[in-house]
Amino acid sequence: MTETTSAAGSAKTPAAKFGGRGLNIGIIVAAVLTVIGLVLWGVQLSGGMVQTNMRNLDSWGLYITCFMFLVGLSAGGLIISSAPRVFGMEGFGGISKIAVWTSICCTVLAIGFVVVDLGQPLRLWELFAYSNLGSPLMWDIIVLATYLILSIVYLWATLRFEAGKGSATSLRVISVIALVCAILVHSVTAWIFGLQQGREMWHTALLGPWFVSSALVCGVALVLVVVIALRRAGYLQLDQKNVVKMVKLLGVFVCVDLYFFGCDLLTEAFPAGSGADIAAMLTTGPLALFFWIEVVGCAVTAVIAFTPKLRTNPLIVVGALLAIVGIFCKRVQLLVGGFQIPNLDLPAVVSGPALTDAGAALQSAGGAMVYFPSLLEFGVTLGVVGLGALLLLLGLKFMPLKPVEKSH
Amino acid sequence: MANQRLGMTIDTKRCIACNSCAVACKIENNLPNNNWWNRVMTVGGDHLDAPEGTYPNVKMHNITVACQHCDNPACVKVCPVGATYKDEETGVVRQDYDKCIGCRMCMAACPYTGVRSFNWEEPAYHLDFSVGDPDVTTHQKHVVEKCTLCWHRLAKGLAPACVEACSARARHFGDFNDPDSEVSQLLSVRSYEQLLPSEGTDPSMYYLV
Repeated sequence: MTETTSAAGSAKTPAAKFGGRGLNIGIIVAAVLTVIGLVLWGVQLSGGMVQTNMRNLDSWGLYITCFMFLVGLSAGGLIISSAPRVFGMEGFGGISKIAVWTSICCTVLAIGFVVVDLGQPLRLWELFAYSNLGSPLMWDIIVLATYLILSIVYLWATLRFEAGKGSATSLRVISVIALVCAILVHSVTAWIFGLQQGREMWHTALLGPWFVSSALVCGVALVLVVVIALRRAGYLQLDQKNVVKMVKLLGVFVCVDLYFFGCDLLTEAFPAGSGADIAAMLTTGPLALFFWIEVVGCAVTAVIAFTPKLRTNPLIVVGALLAIVGIFCKRVQLLVGGFQIPNLDLPAVVSGPALTDAGAALQSAGGAMVYFPSLLEFGVTLGVVGLGALLLLLGLKFMPLKPVEKSH
Repeated sequence: MANQRLGMTIDTKRCIACNSCAVACKIENNLPNNNWWNRVMTVGGDHLDAPEGTYPNVKMHNITVACQHCDNPACVKVCPVGATYKDEETGVVRQDYDKCIGCRMCMAACPYTGVRSFNWEEPAYHLDFSVGDPDVTTHQKHVVEKCTLCWHRLAKGLAPACVEACSARARHFGDFNDPDSEVSQLLSVRSYEQLLPSEGTDPSMYYLV
């Protein structure tokens, strides 16, 4: 980070207040969380994953939910920062570097969540030695790794360009590649689920585009929250018109995402076959809470985004947070919903060692969810999130991410 | 010689739900506690021998479920490291414990809920000595496992343990690609079903009905 001084010097340095003790405390808290997470992961590996609430019937849980969610956050963040440059449009007031940095942090988190979900993390090298190139999971690993490297290159190229080196054309080429890769990374993540004929809820061609629209929703929302927070903390200056531009965009993305959800629900439910069970599970069944939080939350976000009077800073943050929570609820519905209804219509399928005690208790309490995370899973998740926060804050402290004149 | 397609026919009219196959499988393969590769399911309810319907119009119906050794297995396609694969010569869907990274992608892919089981903890046993065939691969923590069609017995020219143990002689084992095999003959004279044919997996387990 040798360019720190030159880049920061060219900014108007409104950030004299920013950075002091608050940031250092944040870094320490995040580091402590990371360490706690690592210890808990050790507990999970040595004592066995029996300490999680995943079982044969619901073989994925909170970790894979978070993985889906974070790939979305990261892809959305990168798309929003690279698209203006790609199409030669006016950007969002120089926030692109921060958007890329948040998206890099989210990518690292997503990879982290896959790793903590593995039973045999020490065998990760096999992915490269015995790659089965037909597996969607393998595609995802390749695309995710490429994507991480590309985002870092993109950030580096942006910093170089702003420091007066490198050409605008080469930066634009890199941003085109990054944009394509960001769309691809989320489509491939969708295919991990969408290509599985054994899970009715997942098996739809819409899943790819739908994942991309959800990524845009929560990616833009996250960037909004981060830049408004950073502006308040005095890290950067940003014209309100740029914020409004992003909020309007968020409104459009939220509507597209809800439209896709509507299309999917209608297609599932209309034939009134087994798909109707899925629609019922979402709207009135065990997953109804998550369904309605998503639908109502996203609708409120759209109202805030499209009503000029409501576009005040606190409400924008509320809307953005509602959108992020809504998309997280969508991930929960997708993951648990995929496992909720077994294909074999035999009562004994869901009994016995297939199900955890937690799952069995929830099920007997009135057809509730087959899966709810254990305390250990929450702890490990918090640790992984701590790692992300640590990266984000270290980046803000040591890297020249503030907008400069040439920024997009 | 042409490739084989090894599998079983299970006569649901002969099955008396005695669970001998499930127990034979458990012993033969020295399965850890709480782990069953082959389960006898009662259509009517959760418990053993639960009837279907309401009295006096009740009937009993059972189905045994283990890995279906599909001709077009969903699990094999999605495994990122090829730890689960179809043996070309016999058509048996196999699982390599040493290769499995524990991602559980195959469990999400398999439509036959619960036939693949993950060892969520260090394998533990009620007995302090091993049972069954010593040639069975040692069970490992944090990997996926399932019915091997008694691979260790096939190598010795024997039928799977569940077939031998079936007290009602409801199970038959053989090569569906050989028109003269007992299983092919049974399919030519009896009506049969496969589990979840709509999934397109084409199981090598045929239920005679």
